[in-house]
Amino acid sequence: MKIAVLIAPAVHPVSGRPCAGEADLAALALAQRLPGQVEVWYAGAADDAALADYLARGADNIHSLSLRPDSDVLAALGSALQGFDMVLCGARSGGGDGSGLLPYQLAEQLGAALLPDVLDLSKSDRQWRALQALPKGVRRTLQASLPLVASVNPRAATAPGWSYARLQQGKIQRKAATGAALAPVVLEPARRARALVAASKVSGHARMQGAIAGGDAKAAGVVVKQGDSVEKAQVVLDYLRQHQLVDF
Amino acid sequence: MSFSLAHALTGLFWLGALLLLGGLARRASLWQQGRSASVSWLGLLAMPKRYFVDIHHVVAREPAVARAHVAAAGGGVAILLLSALNYGLMLYQGWLDVLLVLMAAVMLLGARMMQARRLQAPPRLSQGRWQVLPARLRLFALGSLLAAALLFAGPQMGMAGQLIAVVALLMLALGGAELALGIGLGWPMKHAVAGLLHLAFHPRAERFAAKSSDLKPLNLAAGELGVAKVEDFAWNRLLSFDACVQCGKCEAACPAYAAGQPLNPKKLIQDMVAAQSRGTDPAYAGNPHPGREAAVLVKPGEDIVGSVLAAKTLWSCTTCRACVENCPMLIEHVDTVVNLRRHVTLSRGEVPGKGSEALANLRNTDTVGGYPLAVRYHWAIDLDLPVLQPGEKTEWLLLAGEGAFDMRYQRALRALVKVLKAAGVKVAVLGAAERDCGDVARRLGDEAGFQRLAQANIATLAQYRFDRIVTPDPHVFHCLANEYPAFGGQFEVWHHSKLLEHLLARRAIPLKADATPLPPLTFHDPCYLGRYNDGFNAPRNVLKGIGIKVVDMQRSGRDARCCGWGGGAAFTDIPGQRRIPDMRMDDIRETGTGRVAVACPNCTAMLEGVVGERADVIELAELVAERLA
Ligand code: SF4
Ligand code: SF4
Repeated sequence: MKIAVLIAPAVHPVSGRPCAGEADLAALALAQRLPGQVEVWYAGAADDAALADYLARGADNIHSLSLRPDSDVLAALGSALQGFDMVLCGARSGGGDGSGLLPYQLAEQLGAALLPDVLDLSKSDRQWRALQALPKGVRRTLQASLPLVASVNPRAATAPGWSYARLQQGKIQRKAATGAALAPVVLEPARRARALVAASKVSGHARMQGAIAGGDAKAAGVVVKQGDSVEKAQVVLDYLRQHQLVDF
Repeated sequence: MSFSLAHALTGLFWLGALLLLGGLARRASLWQQGRSASVSWLGLLAMPKRYFVDIHHVVAREPAVARAHVAAAGGGVAILLLSALNYGLMLYQGWLDVLLVLMAAVMLLGARMMQARRLQAPPRLSQGRWQVLPARLRLFALGSLLAAALLFAGPQMGMAGQLIAVVALLMLALGGAELALGIGLGWPMKHAVAGLLHLAFHPRAERFAAKSSDLKPLNLAAGELGVAKVEDFAWNRLLSFDACVQCGKCEAACPAYAAGQPLNPKKLIQDMVAAQSRGTDPAYAGNPHPGREAAVLVKPGEDIVGSVLAAKTLWSCTTCRACVENCPMLIEHVDTVVNLRRHVTLSRGEVPGKGSEALANLRNTDTVGGYPLAVRYHWAIDLDLPVLQPGEKTEWLLLAGEGAFDMRYQRALRALVKVLKAAGVKVAVLGAAERDCGDVARRLGDEAGFQRLAQANIATLAQYRFDRIVTPDPHVFHCLANEYPAFGGQFEVWHHSKLLEHLLARRAIPLKADATPLPPLTFHDPCYLGRYNDGFNAPRNVLKGIGIKVVDMQRSGRDARCCGWGGGAAFTDIPGQRRIPDMRMDDIRETGTGRVAVACPNCTAMLEGVVGERADVIELAELVAERLA
């Protein structure tokens, strides 16, 4: 199976320097977990330094389609990725001008199924099954057959740690490419946002009381008043362990 | 009869010498696994000075042991030399026998003292062969004494003499085996041969000329990425591990060990010995890394970290140098820790806890905490502190360091600026042009990150004109003063304690005149000011200068316990039984002063982070500012 991972530099929120995007890293790490041959692709105008983080975090070879700034990467990527069984990319870019539309457009162009916001991919029979992340922790299983495009949730997998040795050994192979000019951006006045309405009118203090006070039977929490500080700490520790919030 | 005993001694002497040489050759072949290193053969000439002066500085702190060692080792060496003359070269002179008897008596005394100490051995000492060594040495000394005495008075004794001769020879053979076979089989007396060679070919020979505590740069361009396997150590580094006498002074001084984190510096060195000898030495009989088995599995050809050494052991070290300071064999533990970390960080990218986040922040923002550079001097917005422009000149350039982002430490920085202004010192800052010095990156093994920051800082500083740099952060101070010169950055850097001391001595700081005595307090020595740079007196003189009496903790100055921050340990945060700063706070409590003066942003944060009842933590500059007129 041939897998392509699409990456692009993100913009660091504090310094504005280029760095690796979380979702793209997750896509890279997820791809490396799958059985198959992984190729890493980039299309755009970024220089090598902007892609360095990906080399240091596990991409040993990046195929870079060099385009002029302000050109649409879709056509160039579309033709380069013909023949891949699976294309993984981050669900959203790490800042910059990314619109988040690329996976959809690419899937359309490649005639492949799109699995959006994927946390995991596994094979079942001849199909591929994806665990999709929905808001508020809801999960959903999607199924598709190859070829497919999956946009990967940043929490799907963790790429290996940043390594200077990998950075030194990694290679970036540049190929010149051309892309159509981007459609001009049309600016519209913002629509008035609807004011948010709180689901319940009870004060925060009252809700906290509801959660911890021991008054009625369905109280959710425990108030530990007895015992010395060690015993109280033990209760907290037990709680954290029970919910796997600490691992010692 | 005496004739044949003399010849037996000659035989025994040469047999021992041959065994020793063979053993040395075997051990040397182990050292040869290491990389080549540039060493000077002149080190052999410098050996006596290094032995009698540099080692003496350390050993003299424990006078009883030092005396015992002088007697045992001095006597032993004298016996060997005399035997070489009298029996090795077959001179068979009576007067040499008299000297031999005397020296054997001295050695006997020394071995006896050592044996007495072994009866109530402190737990830091290793057991096993080390425990029985004094008895063996006694045997050797007694054997020498008997043999020499017999040879001197020999002819008068008949059957009894022959019997004594046989006993003496047996004793000599048994005790002498310890000396002759030690180096080859990795027995305790290995330390004598390896220790002397270690003095001659020390991997940090410059420490014999002047203070030397800087980490050495890796040649990244040549592909040096730290130590993965035994072969990546320099050969003289492997030799240095063999010098260890398992005295456990490093263990007793180590804050991580005391906190129950899985690091025992003595065991760390012995792990390296096990790795290089591929486990052929006798098993280690000392305390293990807390919470771990003493036995190690040596897998030849495998990386050290992950086989003989657990990564957690490596990351527990605060690089406080307490072990180096106390090691009588002048072994440099911190170099080894950092060399191993370099491999784990640079090659594997496996930095635990928040360490990798700190390194990513340094890469992306040039600050440890991921702050915008432009806000570093926001605390000084109303202090009229000039931001130096390229080409402009100032007397003092203040580098605030990472502490500038910490709201607590900003109070200390403001106090410092106030004091400097009151003293009329012309001081300016770099503003947004100041990057992190790279200390955390380097101690966490990210040599590439450190070199990038060092080079960038040196290039930046070259654009400005200033006479000297002053910083309240000992880590910034250490990096700039001791580690930047290797990259071409030569600056005169003062820690603020030195500047304050200097100003107080010249009465440049206008102090309140009132005579009310101030309550005494205690002072916590920062490792990177104290042990790293011998800056023990300046902060104490500052406190004295403003009329505060310092009640020193039991562990202070050279023996001060680390606050737990150094070496990125606050980021890797390896769990133990206790936290190091809590233990330090106990030390502070013991003084009963209820207040502790600090001189480092990181000590401030660690000690203020102690939960529960604790002493007040006050920065040196804050104390001076309180006394401003
Ligand atoms: S490393 Fe030094 S201080 Fe530690 S046990 Fe060995 S000789 Fe003693
Ligand atoms: S430097 Fe400090 S923490 Fe590290 S091994 Fe030595 S004594 Fe222990």
